[in-house]
Amino acid sequence: MPEDPDWKAYNVPPTRTPVGERDTSVPNPVDIFQTVFNYVVDAPVTFVREWIERQQAKNKFYYYHQKFRRVPDLSECLEGDYLCFYEAEAQWRRDRMVDQEIVEIIRERLGACKQREGPNQFQNCAKEAQLLAQVTKAYQDRYGDLGVHGNARTCLMKQKHRMMEERKAQENPSQ
Amino acid sequence: MAAMSLLLRAAAACGARRAASGAPFPRLAGTARLPGALAPVRHSSGHGKKMFIIKATSFYDTRFLNLLRFYVFLTGIPVALFITYVNIFIGEAELAEIPEGYIPDYWEYYKHPISRWIARYLLDPPEKEYEKQMALLDAEAKKTELRLMELEARRLMRHRGDGPWYHYETPDKNLVDNSMKSTPDN
Repeated sequence: MPEDPDWKAYNVPPTRTPVGERDTSVPNPVDIFQTVFNYVVDAPVTFVREWIERQQAKNKFYYYHQKFRRVPDLSECLEGDYLCFYEAEAQWRRDRMVDQEIVEIIRERLGACKQREGPNQFQNCAKEAQLLAQVTKAYQDRYGDLGVHGNARTCLMKQKHRMMEERKAQENPSQ
Repeated sequence: MAAMSLLLRAAAACGARRAASGAPFPRLAGTARLPGALAPVRHSSGHGKKMFIIKATSFYDTRFLNLLRFYVFLTGIPVALFITYVNIFIGEAELAEIPEGYIPDYWEYYKHPISRWIARYLLDPPEKEYEKQMALLDAEAKKTELRLMELEARRLMRHRGDGPWYHYETPDKNLVDNSMKSTPDN
């Protein structure tokens, strides 16, 4: 079953629909549709779903998210130590997947904020937008143009070049 | 087919009326006329005149589709029923935090019960897969190292000439004829 979205994480404020006063004696057709839907579709489906859940509750079992130990990084591996390279590469790939998920979550938060605020989004979502810009820039700096064959070694080389340019930029203005 | 029969019937009735009236007035050029005698024919109610429709055979196509359906459903339906049973009566696992001091088994990281079963009974634990890959890498790394060392040893022995390799057979010095070189005036 697909997971239900976590409403609490998106800080959806309570709805403020005003209660109206009835002027006519004509019944609201929306109420009729709602009761019909309730009896024809909602009740049987809920009944079946609850029966299924009662069957499944008899023997419950759980699954967990695996926690991986940290291993020495690629920069701490000796040259020619292929086993160290392999472990560092696996760890780098896991970290890249985690970073991709982080960027995705922050993107979803901005989307939720826009949906929530509606016409006020440009003012009220400024913080989320700024956070997304920061996180995307950081991701781009670290994993950006490595390409489809990017691995831990190319990423390390990219970091080395970044540090060299930072050092040059520091030295040049001071000269 | 019924429309065709209606058309034929209308044409027959029209022609019969014409023949009955004697046709003193001139016929219009290009009027369609049915050949031969005109007689009203009764066809089976609703079905119309039976026609032999000539079209390409669909025997092979229907046979193929029937066989396809049969063989797909032969295993498809039991598999579908089994998966439905598993999804309804056993259900998927729930996500939980790892309890203190508990190390989950490697199959307890999967959600669907069939994935858990496959991971538990058919596949090797991921730690074993990891170690297998590392063992292969280690063997290959040792081979690479040995090959590089062999190339280096060959190069040095060829260059220095003091190793057991690169010894070439030369003729015995007793076979050399020194008479040409023994006096300075030759």
